[in-house]
Formats: sequence, structure tokens, C-alpha cells
Amino acid sequence: MSMSDILVALLHVSKRFVKGKETIDIFERLDLTIPTKDFVAVMGPSGSGKTTLLNLLGGIDRPDGGEIHIAGMRIDTLSEGNLARWRAANIGFVFQFYNLMPMLTAAQNVELPLLLTNLHSAERREHVETALKIVNLADRAKHYPREMSGGQQQRVAIARAIVSDPKLLLCDEPTGDLDRNSADEILGMLSILNRELGKTIVVVTHDPAAARYARRTLHLDKGHFVEKELAA
Amino acid sequence: MNDFVLIRKNLFRKKLRAVLMIVSILIAFAIFGVLAAFERAFNAGEAVAEDDRLVVVNKINFTQPLPIAYFNRVQGIEGVRRVTHANWFGGYYQDPKNFLIVLAVEPESYLQIVDSDYVITPEMREAFIRERTGALVGESMAKKWGWKVGDRVPIASNIFSQKNGSRSWDMHIVGIFSKRKPQADTNVMLFQYDYFDETRSFGKDTIGWLILQTTSPEVNDRVAKTIDRGFANSSYETATDTEKAFNKAFVAQLGNIALIVQLVVGAAFVTILMIVGNTMVMAVRERTREIGVLKTLGFSGSRVLRLILGETVLLAIIGGVPGIALAALAIVNMRESVGNFLPGLTLEPSILAIAFVLMIGLGLATGLAPAIHAFRLKIADAMGRG
Amino acid sequence: MRSLFLQIAAVTAINIRSIPQRFWLSLSTVVAVALVVMVLLSFLAMANGFQRTLKGAGAADIAIVLRGGSQSEINSVISREQVRLIEDGPGIARGADGKPLVSAELYIVVDGIKRSTQTKANIPLRGIGTEGAAIRKDIKLVAGRMFNPGANEIVVGKSLLSQFQGFDLGSKVKFLTTQWTVVGVFAADGSVFESEIWGDLPVVQSLFNRNNVFQTVRARIDSPAALAELKHFADADPRLKLDVKSEQEYFAEQSSQTSDLIQKLGWPLAIAMALGALAGALNTMYSSVAARSVEIATLRAIGFGGFPAFIGTLAESLLLAGIGGALGAVATYLVFDGFTTSTLGTGFTQVVFSFRLTPALIAEGLALALTVGLIGGLLPAVRAARTPIVKGLQG
Repeated sequence: MSMSDILVALLHVSKRFVKGKETIDIFERLDLTIPTKDFVAVMGPSGSGKTTLLNLLGGIDRPDGGEIHIAGMRIDTLSEGNLARWRAANIGFVFQFYNLMPMLTAAQNVELPLLLTNLHSAERREHVETALKIVNLADRAKHYPREMSGGQQQRVAIARAIVSDPKLLLCDEPTGDLDRNSADEILGMLSILNRELGKTIVVVTHDPAAARYARRTLHLDKGHFVEKELAA
Repeated sequence: MNDFVLIRKNLFRKKLRAVLMIVSILIAFAIFGVLAAFERAFNAGEAVAEDDRLVVVNKINFTQPLPIAYFNRVQGIEGVRRVTHANWFGGYYQDPKNFLIVLAVEPESYLQIVDSDYVITPEMREAFIRERTGALVGESMAKKWGWKVGDRVPIASNIFSQKNGSRSWDMHIVGIFSKRKPQADTNVMLFQYDYFDETRSFGKDTIGWLILQTTSPEVNDRVAKTIDRGFANSSYETATDTEKAFNKAFVAQLGNIALIVQLVVGAAFVTILMIVGNTMVMAVRERTREIGVLKTLGFSGSRVLRLILGETVLLAIIGGVPGIALAALAIVNMRESVGNFLPGLTLEPSILAIAFVLMIGLGLATGLAPAIHAFRLKIADAMGRG
Repeated sequence: MRSLFLQIAAVTAINIRSIPQRFWLSLSTVVAVALVVMVLLSFLAMANGFQRTLKGAGAADIAIVLRGGSQSEINSVISREQVRLIEDGPGIARGADGKPLVSAELYIVVDGIKRSTQTKANIPLRGIGTEGAAIRKDIKLVAGRMFNPGANEIVVGKSLLSQFQGFDLGSKVKFLTTQWTVVGVFAADGSVFESEIWGDLPVVQSLFNRNNVFQTVRARIDSPAALAELKHFADADPRLKLDVKSEQEYFAEQSSQTSDLIQKLGWPLAIAMALGALAGALNTMYSSVAARSVEIATLRAIGFGGFPAFIGTLAESLLLAGIGGALGAVATYLVFDGFTTSTLGTGFTQVVFSFRLTPALIAEGLALALTVGLIGGLLPAVRAARTPIVKGLQG
């Protein structure tokens, strides 16, 4: 692995939570590298720090120690404003409960990240159409979230996550709220995004099936990794 | 889609709640509009007063008479351009309840002095001066009673009676005039002093007050002092003041109208501020997770803050504009019934401007707390630690 | 039946105990209702006080004689001859000395400076006859003495003294070219006469160039029936084109116009504000119902009926509105009751009056508050009772 292939690098990252008088160390000098075009599944019991890891990767949370480099940029020292801007350009999020705006249509939801760019409305519309096509929901563009199944809503969320062409896709329990079929559908879609569009994806999940779709699986236990490689 | 669409959609997420808030705001602004117009109308006397007009009344009280000789004496004073006199007739039409503003005036000079307030054609002027029993009626009074030029109407007085014992005077309407200034009152009737003085049973050769025009506003003070000094220590001492001051003092007798209006409007606004403000805090708190999502997408804290302030300002405008429209409607309807003692009841542009400023202010005030909360919201807290 | 009562009590208790969770929103409803009630009650107290002052002046056993058709004293003119004729009229009571209790009077409008605004305002100077004070009921001198006949002396009413400056006991006041001395202060049971200045009739007449001119004649009559007699007497004589009425009637007419006006302004204003408060109350109650939908649905899943949920919500709304109404009433009482001010009465003079809040008026205010509470709680209460349990459990 050459240095230019590495998209994400965590160097000796520490994170602790203070709860009253107690201090809980989530991570202590954690190291992690993720090359471009990787598809990583992070699994582990509750409380192992999976979501915290995702938050750190997305710049939503700051480490207490160590460095975080993403796409050559050190993000743990960026100011709030710069972090927001950086996040808009580089990261796409997918959440367990979809987190779509209920009063916006599918297309409007997907368009949200583009409001942070300088694109004209015509250009924005094009990107939205493309994203919806990728997730096979072009015909549902004008529907509201309440008119769609869980799986469809999650696909809209994925479309929103990729519409501004981010470098890194972070997914927090994306199948947690779905039935088996929809879950497979979502994981399959992520897989396609990875293999055919070259997106680097990190999925935090309980779903054992996820391991099959990902390129590699990392197990987090009490703040440490146990790695298991899988054939591509 | 753009920020405005986002704002609008957020505002109407819960339609009923949005409607209720709009109703509250609408009512507050309707109250504001009506009361502000009332306050202006009460003080309109100040607006209609000309800068170079002085009023001379009996020093004891304006209800006391002055001798008619004063008319000529004041005319000769330096700085006085022209002068006229008038008497309060205490008129009513048919029923004592229908009281009218009727003045017995010196025809030629009075018309000259009120030229800035009323539009009086040369034909009207000539007819009025020529005919002894002639009367000029303002258009709003004529409209109210359905009078036309040429009508003969008997006007009774609740103060005076004729030498022959009759209480009413026959007036021959020779002209109906309109107003030149928006605040001028056309609910008034003018007739000849001579006709009045010759036929009345008491008070002969006395007048109610003088109105005079000075050569320029700068000499107002000097002229007023000269007049009052001239009549000091006589049986009929005078008090001369600018028309503006006179009108203002009269309104002040009613009480502090401005203060009452401010208190009531203030109460109404405090109410909606609390209601809308609290509702918005609640509404934004319901959206905590969504705000978190927006921030994960890259929306900055200040952008989120602007979105929320935009929402409350939009709300204030959606409620405020119809509220003012409602006030305008109410005023148009009220003009008829209160026209008698409050002419010139209108919604002036300055009131509209103040209303607009209030809307923006209200929007910002009600949005401040939730907007700052959203600004400060940390993504991790908003999303839950999972 | 007992079960239903227990259910209602339980749900109501839950509702009311959960109010602190929506503290600020509930508080804003309480304040809104309180302000509405304050506005209404202050207007009503104003109208009531004004009316009381004028009513208090009118005695049923005093006849007031004015020129026929005059709307008020100030417009009336009566000649000396007419005064003499009236004095001999039937039904007029006589004093211990056998002289008829009659006071011919002159009502002159003069200017004074209001203490509060420091601006000029009209006040009445009444020239009264020798029997003038005796005729009226409850006239007491609270300071100084009565004026001497023929002297340039005046007595002032208590209210006038409090509202206007320059009339303290012993001060010299100038009307026209002569000076008058204030020799006494009188009380008149809070009636409108306390806003007046009284002087000796002949002195007032001569100094204001109104010799032999009178404006009213007041006479104490033997009985209410005697009034009709006097009226008849006046109507029968062509020289007496006069109106004879009881003073009570006269003042009732005088006061009605202004107090009507105040009420005509006050009620619409209060109702408009009440609508605004209503919108706020609805908002609060809908939020309240939404916030407790899980609890209510759970109770109903257990077996509680919809009716208790309905009552519970309604009770919450009425409670908030009731508290608001009570607050508004108390605030109005503390701030406004007894507040003395003056305004223009008919006849263009100042009438000094006090805001007077009565239990009856407070009841009106509370009624308005509870109406807001009722209407504001009704629809949300219906929603609380009828939302399908499953939907409620979803929260």
C-alpha cells in the first residue's frame, strides 16, 4: 500500500468520555488506515465505540489526542466553520433512522447538500436526478418520505449522501431498522457504489450479513481492533 | 429548492400550529393598526393646523364670548395679515341627539382663512357672501343627511333662540365643499354671522373666537403677545395661541390617549411575543435531530441560525400583513360612526412603516432563543451518542 | 360511577402534574389571559367609576330646571322673572325659615392647570344661591369655611383640589380682573360636585357680565310626586319654556354618553385580545395533548375510557385560564382601583372620577377568562379522547 492510496489515517487517537466523576476511555492511542476504494465493516458489541469512531471520521467529534488525516487533510485541528465546509465537500452520511426531512420530497431531500455549493438550480437538479437514478428511485422523486417503505427511504438517504460526490461514505447501522430483504438491498447498493463507482465506505453495523458485502471487517472490542480479512 | 423553500416548509410542518400563531400575530397587528390610527386622529388637530394661524379666545375659557369690536381692533395690529371671527351655534338637526358642528362666521374673511383646508369654488364663495340665509356645508355632513345644493334645512340650536321665540334657523344650502387636506373635517356647516346676530335673542354683538393669519410664522409670538397685552385688564381679556397649541391642549383634556394606546398595544405584543416565542422554542426543539443532520451535511451553525430567524420573520410577516389589512378594513367601517368627533381616521403610511418595523422586530425577537440554541447545538448531542 | 370518577381524577392529576414540563408555554397562556382580563377590567372600571361619579350627584329629591331643549346646564339660559315664578311653584320644600329651598345657579367654565400633565383644562365655577349647599345632600366642609355672601370668595371641591394645582386653602386665584380667595374645601360624597368651584351667585354674575342671567334652578321637592306637580306647573305657563326633571335623571343622561363610549371601546378591544389569547391557549393545549399522547394512550389501552381523557384536558385548560383570569383581576385591582383621573364630560368641563372595580365586574372578567379556557381546551380535549390508541402509543 503506497501512501497516496491511503484515504483515512488515524494516528494514536484517544477519546474519553467524562460522566460525572467517572472517566471512560473509549479509545487509547488507536491506529487505523483505510485505503481508497476500501469497503470496511466495523462490528462489535454495544459500547465498544463504533459510533464514536464514525463520528471522529466524519469530523462530528474531536479526538482528545492523536491525529486524524483524511484525503491528505488533517481534520482534528480544523475550526468549526472549516470543518463544516470540509464535511460538505468530502463526507456523506447514512444513518440508521434515515433522518430524512419529512416535509421535503425525495428529490428535495437529496438536493439539500447541494445548497451548500455554488451550483445553479439546473445543475443541482441534474445531480439529484443522477443520484436518484443510481439508487433506482428516479420515479419516486416527488414522493414524501411517509409515502415510502423503510428500504426506499434509506435509498433516498444514500442518494443524499452521494449527491455531492464525497470521498468517504460513513454509514451508522444503515440496515438496523430494515427487514432482511431491504437490508440486503441496501448492502448490495453500497457494494455497487464501492465496486463500480469506487466509493470508499465505512459501515458500522451489527448485521453479520454486512461482512459478506464488505471487503474487510474490523472488530472493535473495548477500543481495540481485531482484523479479519476477506477475499475481495 | 432553496433556503426560502426550506424555511417555508419548516414553518408549516404542523399546519394547525402555524395557523394559530398566525392568528395571534394577525390580531395583535390589527389592534395596533386601529389604535395607532385612533391616536393619530385624536392628534390630527395638530396636523391640520397651519403654522401661521392664531386663535384668539376669551382668557377665562374658550366658551366665554368676546365683543365683536375686537375683530376690527385686531385687524389693525401689525403682523396680522387677515382675521375672521366665528361663533359656536350648538346646532342639531331635527332631534337634539343629532348634534352638528355649525359655525356662524364672517363670510368673506373666514373663507379666505380656511382656504388651505377646504376647496371652495368662486361660485360658492359668491353665493355665500351674497345670500343672507346662505350656508356652506361640508361634503361629509351633506352626505350623511342627503342634502343638496338648493335645499332649505331648518337647523336648531340648543343654546340660542330667535327673538321671535323659534329655536331653529332656516338655512339655504348654497354650496357643498370638499377638503383640501386629508385631515380636514368636512362635517361642518358655515352660515352668516349677520343672519345669526340679528335674529338671536341674546348675546348680541358678541363673537366666540377670532382666527387670524400672521404675515409669517416668525411673528406669531410677537403678535400673540401684542393682542393679549392690548386687552389685558379689560372685561374681556384674551388668550392668543397658535392653532396647533390650541388643538393640542383641547385633546389633552381627554386624557393621555397616546399613553392608553401604547399600554394596550404593548400588552397585546407582549402576549404574542410570549406565545409565539415559546411555541418556536418548542418547535425547534422537536427538530433537534434534523438540525444535527443539517450540520452533518455541512450546514454551518450560522446558516442554521439564519434559517430559523428566517422562519420567525416569515411568520411575523404572514401574520402581520393581513392584520394591518384587517385594521384598514375596520377603520373604513368605523369612519362613519365615529366621524362626528374623530374626522380624518385613516391608516397613514407612517403607521404602515412602523408596523413593518415591528414585524421584523417581532420575528427576530421570537426567533432569537431557538436560533441560538440551534447554532450552539453539537452534532453528537443532536444525533444522540448511539 | 365511582370508577368513572376515579378515572377522571387520575387523568386530571396526570395532566396537571405534567404542566411543569411545558412550563414556559403554559405560563405564556396564563399571562395572555391575564393581560386580556386586565384590559377588559380596566376599561370596565373606568366606565363604572365615571358613571358612579355622575350618578352619585343625582338626587331623586332635587328637581333641576333648565331652559327647554338644553342638553346640559351650560347651554341653558333662565331669566330672573322665570326664577321668581319657579320659586313660587308647587311641591317645593321649604326650609326652617319658611323660605323655599331653591338655588338659582350660574355655571361658568374657567381654566385650571392639571397637576398630572401640567396642561390647561376646563373646570366649572358655579355661582350658587344662599340655599345652594343646603339643597344638596351630604355637603361637608372638610377644611376652612363657606364663602361669605357678596365676597370674592370661593370654596373648592376635594377632587378638584387633588387634580388641579393652585387651589389650596388660602390661595388667591385670578379669574378675569378680580381675585378670589379659596376659603374652604368641601366634600360631596365623591359625586361630580367635588370637581367644582363654588362662589356666591351675585358676585359671579357681576364679574362675568351675566347680571340677571341664570342657567339653572335647583329646588328640593317634597316628594317624588311633587316633581310631576312642578313639571305640570311649568308646562302650563307659557312664560316658562323650561324642562323640569329630577337631578338623578339629568345626570343619568349626562353620564350615559361617555360611559357608553368607554364601554364601546373596551369590550371590542378585550374581545379582540381574547381571540389572540385563544389562539395561544389552543396552541398550548394541543401541545399538551401531543406531549402526553403516550401516557393517555397507555391509560386507555389499560381500559380507561375516552371521557376521562376529555375531562382531564379540559380541566387543564380551565385551570390555566382561571389562574390567568385571577391574576389579571388582582393586577387590575392593585394598579387601577381607586386610581383617580379626570376627563372631558359633556359641557366641556373636566369630570374627576376614580376607577372602580366591583365584584360584579371581576366576575365578568373571570367569565371571559374561563370562556377562553373552555373554547381553548375543547377541541384538544376531543382529540385526546378520540385519538386511536395505537397512534397514541407511537408517540
